[in-house]
Amino acid sequence: MRRTLISALLVVVAALLVVGLTLSKATGKRADLRVMNGTEPQTLDPDLATGDPEHRILEDVFEGLARLDSASLEPVPGVAESWDISADGKTYVFHLRPTARWSDGRPVTAHDFTYAWRRLQDPTLGGEYAYIMHMVRWAEARNTYGAQAEALRGRVVKALDELVAQHPSVVPGAALREFAKKLNLQATLKGTPNPALRSFLLRPDGDIETDELRGLRPELLAEAARRQTAHDAADEHFGVDEGVFAKDDHTLVVELNAATPYFLELTAFYPFYPVPRWAVERASRNWFMPGNFVGNGAFTLESWRVGDRIVLERNPQYWGKNEVKLKRVDLLPIENMTTALNLYLTGDVDWIPHGYYPRELGPDLKRRADFYGNPALIAYYYRINTTRKPFGDKRVRKALNLAIDREQITRDVLLMGEQPAYTVVPPGLRGYTSGKSEISLNVAEARKLLAEAGFPEGRGFPKFGILYNTMEMHKKLAEVVADQLRRNLNIDAVAYNQEWQSYQQSTTNMDYDVSRYGWVGDYEDPNTFLDVWLTNGGNNRTGWGSLVYDRLIESANNVELFLDSPEFLLQHTHEPQKLRELMQGVRAAREPAARLEAMSKLRLALLAEAETILVADDFPIIPLYFYVISGLVKPYVRGFHTEIIGSDGSKRPNLRDLHPLRDLSVEGAP
Amino acid sequence: MSEAITLVLGLALLAATAWTPPRHTRLLGSLLFGLVVAVLLRFVLGPLGGVLGGVLAVGVAHRLLPALVLRRVLFLVPALVLLVFSTTLLMYRAPGNPFANERATSAQVETALRAQYGVPKNANQFFRIYMRRLLVEGTLGPSIKVQGRRVEELIGPAFPVSMALGLLALTLSVGFGLSLGVLAGLKRNSAADYSSMAVALVGISLPSFVIGAAEMIVFSLWLGWLPVAGWGSYRHLVMPAIALALPSSAVIARLARSGTIEIMQQDFVRTARAKGLPESWVIGRHALRGAIIPVVSYLGPAAAAIMTGSFVVEVLFAIPGMGQWFVKGAINRDYSVVLGTAIVYFGLVILFNLLVDLAYAWLDPRLRQERA
Repeated sequence: MRRTLISALLVVVAALLVVGLTLSKATGKRADLRVMNGTEPQTLDPDLATGDPEHRILEDVFEGLARLDSASLEPVPGVAESWDISADGKTYVFHLRPTARWSDGRPVTAHDFTYAWRRLQDPTLGGEYAYIMHMVRWAEARNTYGAQAEALRGRVVKALDELVAQHPSVVPGAALREFAKKLNLQATLKGTPNPALRSFLLRPDGDIETDELRGLRPELLAEAARRQTAHDAADEHFGVDEGVFAKDDHTLVVELNAATPYFLELTAFYPFYPVPRWAVERASRNWFMPGNFVGNGAFTLESWRVGDRIVLERNPQYWGKNEVKLKRVDLLPIENMTTALNLYLTGDVDWIPHGYYPRELGPDLKRRADFYGNPALIAYYYRINTTRKPFGDKRVRKALNLAIDREQITRDVLLMGEQPAYTVVPPGLRGYTSGKSEISLNVAEARKLLAEAGFPEGRGFPKFGILYNTMEMHKKLAEVVADQLRRNLNIDAVAYNQEWQSYQQSTTNMDYDVSRYGWVGDYEDPNTFLDVWLTNGGNNRTGWGSLVYDRLIESANNVELFLDSPEFLLQHTHEPQKLRELMQGVRAAREPAARLEAMSKLRLALLAEAETILVADDFPIIPLYFYVISGLVKPYVRGFHTEIIGSDGSKRPNLRDLHPLRDLSVEGAP
Repeated sequence: MSEAITLVLGLALLAATAWTPPRHTRLLGSLLFGLVVAVLLRFVLGPLGGVLGGVLAVGVAHRLLPALVLRRVLFLVPALVLLVFSTTLLMYRAPGNPFANERATSAQVETALRAQYGVPKNANQFFRIYMRRLLVEGTLGPSIKVQGRRVEELIGPAFPVSMALGLLALTLSVGFGLSLGVLAGLKRNSAADYSSMAVALVGISLPSFVIGAAEMIVFSLWLGWLPVAGWGSYRHLVMPAIALALPSSAVIARLARSGTIEIMQQDFVRTARAKGLPESWVIGRHALRGAIIPVVSYLGPAAAAIMTGSFVVEVLFAIPGMGQWFVKGAINRDYSVVLGTAIVYFGLVILFNLLVDLAYAWLDPRLRQERA
């Protein structure tokens, strides 16, 4: 018995020893500010990161050419102390601050930007945000042309040969569609100047003479050769002497394919940050981990304990260190929202950003003085699988859109002041007015449309599913929508869920009828919501595509293209007169600045026309609502702006919950 | 098809280890023991240290280790390989992949990432890459969702946290459960019995997240005695340890109760009483040992489970332990993390079952004799 007791005691002592050892490793010092930061960041490499938790850290430990001022959210000098923009809006010359330093003391030079941008566009790196820089000359060529050229030379030509061999005289439309879809021709031939290929992409559905198709072979090979040449040239010049290059250590030149009004804002976004080459080359696998980390932001990465916290400390090398008030910031990863809220309530956390408290407690929390909420740049849609019957019929899709009572959803289900969505682009983007929408609650019209489509009173309409990724809120919403459709149209929808990965796979494979979808805007421009729906776009997943739509987006991103040959679009848009007037405005403008201004107006009008196709013509999606951003922040956190006041005095909400730590301070914390 | 055949062959091999003659068991067992030691040491000492340690271990094992242990080792290694193989197959069958993201990943990006992380589209190729990593390179592979870290760098700091918490919880649950159970067993059908079994029933029925949440409300939000969550001082340990301990202490209480009841009816207990020994002596010296036996057999797997952490408790109390990686690895389809956690858990289960077997022999003289 004594032996048993002794050994039991030994186990207890051992347990306490281990406990003591692990605890002694934990960090104890209290931070000035403690922030709830959602899930564990995947990486802190600015060229590889995506997602909110990463964003919140990267914007503090790195700095771009410009940075966003926290009061106006407008680009203000960051690493660049000034910049010149050419008259046509296509060339930017950034003058870098000589005082800008990396956290290891080296100066930040223009070469750090060319290295980073070249690296982001390296196809073997696998940076998901590479596409966001494709307005920079040669960037897209370096990033994607090589693989496209290879595909055109190989797979595409081979499949074309097979198609021709199988159908000696006429190739049926269905086989052609299959061919185009399987090889993702829209994406592989994106932006081709080849007239034969362009008209092939533009041609309406239907059969095609085999000889005509055979004629495409040399064109495809020519296009492959063109892309290969462009890719090789890009490899040689991008980041060296064209596209983006260092004129000297402190002068960076950026050349754009077309004037891009939001480019300056983007230089404050992390895919555009500089990267320290020597640090990456020293430890390519984990250069962004504490110990190896080198950054140029207001803060530097002190420690990172997975599941516990990331600690940031003020960067003594930062050029503006006197403007930075906080000395130490803890960012806590959290999986359980209730725990996050409890930590806040007991004073262990000072700020819970959007989305990290339990959703169902929102209506109660809303009454607290330290709660903040405002409209967001986030939209909630249902995608419709247009490749399935009966959803291929746009009358059916319109009927679904008209039969849903969005007011009821925001009023009775969501409860946080969300806005019902009748358009694709959320309100609040400067200068933009959404395209004309036909979406409203109109049950009579919806029934009429359904009857016209062959389902009077909903008779014979197949039972269908509404797919959502597992989450309480999505479930509630899907059930309400299913109920509304049942009552208003007498059709049977079943809400069902899948865990995240299965949901991703089902939507990518188009294995669904209707599926939930949320989209967060990357920058404050309608383009970020509209280029999602390009034909075969990676996130489109509805099977829907429209040439007019694609052309509109393409033209908006390169207005010169539209000015050169406007006829096709003028024939196919809702308000050609308005577009003509705006074109007139551009042509009449004498001053370069006025011309740019007029082009920017024309650009937004083109985007609005594109949006109209979604919400007044084809209805491939059902917009449901626009989110509100809401969170909790202690009153002693200063410099926290939920209402943004632009330099021109205009007011708007902080649409993306952006609060750079650089400008925050804490006064009178307990 | 070939995968199915491999699986069947693997299972057959596993079954065959049970019939290996003793002499071969000793030789093969010590060789495999050396291999395991070499792979483990590789992580700490590098290739040379691993090989040397392995060779040394073969010799030591061949001379000193009991047959019981060697037989386990003989079983362990093929079972581990089979575990990695079948887990790989299952992972690849699950929908999705580690590179699926909110935004669509372009084919080009996916190809680049697959090449970087060594995650080909084919399960067999991945298995080969993984085994090579494990045996030749001495790593559990990179995590895809927490980039810049290898799986051992992820589990390494997390395991001691879970183990510390687990040991504390285990101590609590054994102490609490045993005293409750033995008390109930001795005073059968009394008020003490009913009330302690009622407590046990509550402990079994209430999931740990309910216990944890209730603790948070009472001790943190109402009384303000303990911090809500996090890791850093002994005060952070109290609530999660209780939440983790209660369910298993309830099970232990029930097992101890039935064990005690059974043992108290045995002849040797009656003899002891007839000899006129005081009741405390009878219980302490003779009955308790027998009563513990069912508890010990439960403790083997339970210890492995508790010490590798509980996802629910760790997430609730924001503890940087290992339990989260079991679930996150699976949810994220982070293949290397899934395999890494599976291997660690498997190893612990084997280890604790072995300890249980050894403890049996020590606790129950009859078993000792049978073996001898």
